[in-house]
Amino acid sequence: MAVCIAVVAKENYPLYIRSVPSENELKFHYTVHTSLDVVEEKVSAVGKVLVDQRELYLGLLYPTEDYKVYGYVTNSKVKFVIVVESSNTSLRDNEIRSMFRKLHNSFTDVMCNPFYNPGDLIQSKAFDSVVSSMMVQAC
Amino acid sequence: MSIPDYMQCAEDHQTVLVVVQPVGIVPEEEFFRIYKRIASINQVSIRDSQRLLYIRYRHHYPPENNEWGDFQTHRKVVGLIAVTTCNSAKEWPQTSERFHGQKEVFGPTLYDSRLLVFGLQGEIAEQARTDVAFYSSYDKCEDVEKRVEDFVESIFIVLESKRLDRATDKSGDKIPLLCVPFEKKDFVGLDTDSRHYKKRCQGRMRKHVGDLCLQAGMLQDALVHYHMAVELLRSVNDFLWLGAALEGLCSASVIYHYPGGTAGKSGGRKPSVSQAADAGKRHRPGAQEVLIDPGALTTNGISADTSSEIGRAKNCLSPEDIIEKYKEAISYYGKYKNAGVIELEACVKAVRVLAIQKRAMEASEFLQNAVYINLGQLSEEEKIQRYSILSELYDLIGFHRKSAFFKRVAAMQCVAPTIAEPGWRACYKLLLETLPGYSLSLDPKDFCKGTHRGWAAVQMRLLHELVYASRRMGNPGLSVRHLSFLLQTMLDFLSDQEKKEVTQSLENYTSKCPGGMEVIALPDGLKLPPVPFTKLPIVKSVKLLNLPVSLRPRKLKGLLGQNMATKSPFIYSPIIIHNRGEERCKKIDFQWVQGDVCEVQLMVYNPMPFELRVENMGLLTSGVEFESLPAALSLPAESGLYPVTLVGVPRTAGNITVNGYHTSVFGVMSDCMLDGLPGVKTSGCVVEVVPALPRLQLSTSLPRSANSRQPSSGEEPSSSVSVQLFNGESQQLLVTLENIASEPLETLEVTSKMVNTKEKVFGEFLTWDLDGALSQLPLKPGQTVVLTVNIKVKLDFSGQENLFQDLNDDGISVTGLPISSPLRQVLKPRAENKPMGTESGKPEYNQVKMLEAVLHFKYSGGQGQVEGYYRELSLGVHVDVEPSVFFTRVSTLPATSTRQCHLLLDVFNATEHELTVSARNNQDVVLHASECQRRGGEREAM
Repeated sequence: MAVCIAVVAKENYPLYIRSVPSENELKFHYTVHTSLDVVEEKVSAVGKVLVDQRELYLGLLYPTEDYKVYGYVTNSKVKFVIVVESSNTSLRDNEIRSMFRKLHNSFTDVMCNPFYNPGDLIQSKAFDSVVSSMMVQAC
Repeated sequence: MSIPDYMQCAEDHQTVLVVVQPVGIVPEEEFFRIYKRIASINQVSIRDSQRLLYIRYRHHYPPENNEWGDFQTHRKVVGLIAVTTCNSAKEWPQTSERFHGQKEVFGPTLYDSRLLVFGLQGEIAEQARTDVAFYSSYDKCEDVEKRVEDFVESIFIVLESKRLDRATDKSGDKIPLLCVPFEKKDFVGLDTDSRHYKKRCQGRMRKHVGDLCLQAGMLQDALVHYHMAVELLRSVNDFLWLGAALEGLCSASVIYHYPGGTAGKSGGRKPSVSQAADAGKRHRPGAQEVLIDPGALTTNGISADTSSEIGRAKNCLSPEDIIEKYKEAISYYGKYKNAGVIELEACVKAVRVLAIQKRAMEASEFLQNAVYINLGQLSEEEKIQRYSILSELYDLIGFHRKSAFFKRVAAMQCVAPTIAEPGWRACYKLLLETLPGYSLSLDPKDFCKGTHRGWAAVQMRLLHELVYASRRMGNPGLSVRHLSFLLQTMLDFLSDQEKKEVTQSLENYTSKCPGGMEVIALPDGLKLPPVPFTKLPIVKSVKLLNLPVSLRPRKLKGLLGQNMATKSPFIYSPIIIHNRGEERCKKIDFQWVQGDVCEVQLMVYNPMPFELRVENMGLLTSGVEFESLPAALSLPAESGLYPVTLVGVPRTAGNITVNGYHTSVFGVMSDCMLDGLPGVKTSGCVVEVVPALPRLQLSTSLPRSANSRQPSSGEEPSSSVSVQLFNGESQQLLVTLENIASEPLETLEVTSKMVNTKEKVFGEFLTWDLDGALSQLPLKPGQTVVLTVNIKVKLDFSGQENLFQDLNDDGISVTGLPISSPLRQVLKPRAENKPMGTESGKPEYNQVKMLEAVLHFKYSGGQGQVEGYYRELSLGVHVDVEPSVFFTRVSTLPATSTRQCHLLLDVFNATEHELTVSARNNQDVVLHASECQRRGGEREAM
């Protein structure tokens, strides 16, 4: 399961970022922040080819020594980033995809909330619990 | 080979390496001046062959890298230029010795060398030597460039001869095996006659010839040789050299495709016109050369590719292939631990090519690979260099965040605990360079628009590091500025604990170096704008306060109309409504007076979890000379809105604009402009200051009373006196007026107005004689004038309805009617005798009457009077009037005639004075104080 899940706004600032508490939180901030370079690159590359029906899932952004970083971009250019441990080999591409889909659905619910201001930090409890369900359970 | 050259790029493969070094004692400055002039000759066109020779200069080159010269000839030092100072002929032999010593270092690979001697004159300098040039001084060496060109040409001759030599090796001769340093021992005792070995030798030599061709400016030949080398080496699985051959192929193709070079600004290539024109042509002279010199290609079984002209396109790799081959080459290099540097450099070269091709994703893969290449134990300096270059390359491919990340790592490496002398300056400089990558600017103005949006955690970390680095650099001013910035912009993200820590350290720094509003300019040109603490405290509203009523300037009526007329020709226009948006600029409809203390009220609150001490808080104004009187305040933790009044004195007349306020918090002075503050409510910041007016202070001989009881009357007097008088009594009120302003009082008018007009008053209530006071005008500052006001109360106490009613009730009674004033203690006991139904304490029996009047003092003087302004001071006079006599008993006695009766009245003198009661028939009765007398009179019976 994921060790860090982040939602990044269209303007590339974080709307939501959560990592397993056992790890150094700042490290994941750096990881997600630098992964945005790759996201931007991939999005602009895809944009050239197919604008209308592009794949939201960006796949593996880049592997580091300990982690794999996956990306996903909604049609409104909100980015989701999931960091999983490299050692976790049980996770297939399909599982990652379904995680993103779940995340996207929950994010849509957040956006549907009339009391949520688009662009604000996400503080929804429902979203939080969805994220929690996808995170590695801290032991 | 352990030291990678991160600046390498693909086109470096076609350069020849020349080392320029000082010999003996050469002033560094002079050496680099000469070095620069030498280095400017980075490409020389060879006269006879129309080819270009590219030269790479180094002033430092590790000899162990030179040992890899056979592997890739551009790593081989082929030329040495030594620079030396020699002041006398005596030193010459020694200098010469040194030069030869220097030559020994690179000895085996050198094609040629030169010695530039500065300072030597005389006999020795006269001799004409090709390898030594004499100059009298560092300033007189005009032909250095010419010398270098000659030198380069001589190198070319050697290079060309070597190329031809190698390419035309006789088939019968044994081809020597070229190898890299770490391979040498592997080939000991190998069968040198096997086909396999021969092929290996051939392949390596082919590759080597390719290198030489490339250096000699024969691109097409080089491509052909490389292709053949690849085939040969692939068949014998000589991976290291196969990689080198592939890389050579890539380099040659890159040079063909990108004549502008891939190194960017750091590249030594001149993007000259001739270069571009050459690009298409360059292969041609090379090809001609092939045709002219058939021996180069036909002998030795290394059969000539006669189709080289035709197959040019085939030989040269396409841009996509270049990357594929680079990948392959790198994977081969990766098999050898000792070739780490080669692999790393190949990665860097490939990234530069990809950057030109704008294929960032693939470039990032190469870089990712480069990160993991292990070069063994690296020194700290090498680590810094490596991280910096990674950062630079990431920047090149547009990965600014990644670039910032590595730059920051490099910065941290500069001050790693293992380093004996941490380079805080370098660290700070690198950290500053990471700012754009974290989308952080050091200008607080970029943050005042709405809520902060960014990677707060990461940005905060960076700011903390900047603070720390600048402190260790010994520049507390910078630390203060960065820390202020951190506090101002990241306040919302700091936890309570962090807020405490940050402010504490800020206070520590400011105790050494107070923060101010000046722009700090860094040596490298970056300017750090000032950081005003607009959030400490947060100002919610700014309101300019009117002067107290008694000090407000009033405009003379006659002039008022004039003023209105100039504003607009319309009495009403709806357009004005639309201007409400610019409330901030709106003029307020009251005036301040020059020389008088004016107030501005701010509503502030403290967002910190502890008490906030704000010192030296004052107003910033423009338009009028303004003397601000700073205040100090202490706001409790997380206070709610808290009113603060800032005061100041305008020193000249005109329109004053309140632009902002200044504070000093935690030792940091800040000027906060209202324009830059979001969410500040103001009702206008421009107010007119009218010229100075005199100011009167009023004191009276009678005690002051609390302010008027009916404040609803709007224009309540600023002060009032109250006095108790008996009816008919008069009293003198001395009003002392002191001019406490600096303007002379020139006019004074006094009017009075009754407030309570219900009562019927006989005569004048208040009278005064102004002439005496007026004669003292103009009243200089500090002088006083005394005005005597006579208070005279004459009220009609008769005819009170209640009294009549009582009389009527008791009309038939022969006993007297007690009329008592329930308020008077003396009379209280008599109340028992009163008939039932007339209870004491009933309000209608209150016979104390109240008289109120307001005295208005209208005065003016000085410049203000010229402008038509005056001031009004008012004094309320409150008089409680008590009746002086009471008729305590009324009774009738039958008179002599039945049509008449005697009316007996008991008259009581309530005063402490003697008084005279007059009746119609002129019978005056003198009543002493508190005396009661019976008076009789004949009255007609009704």
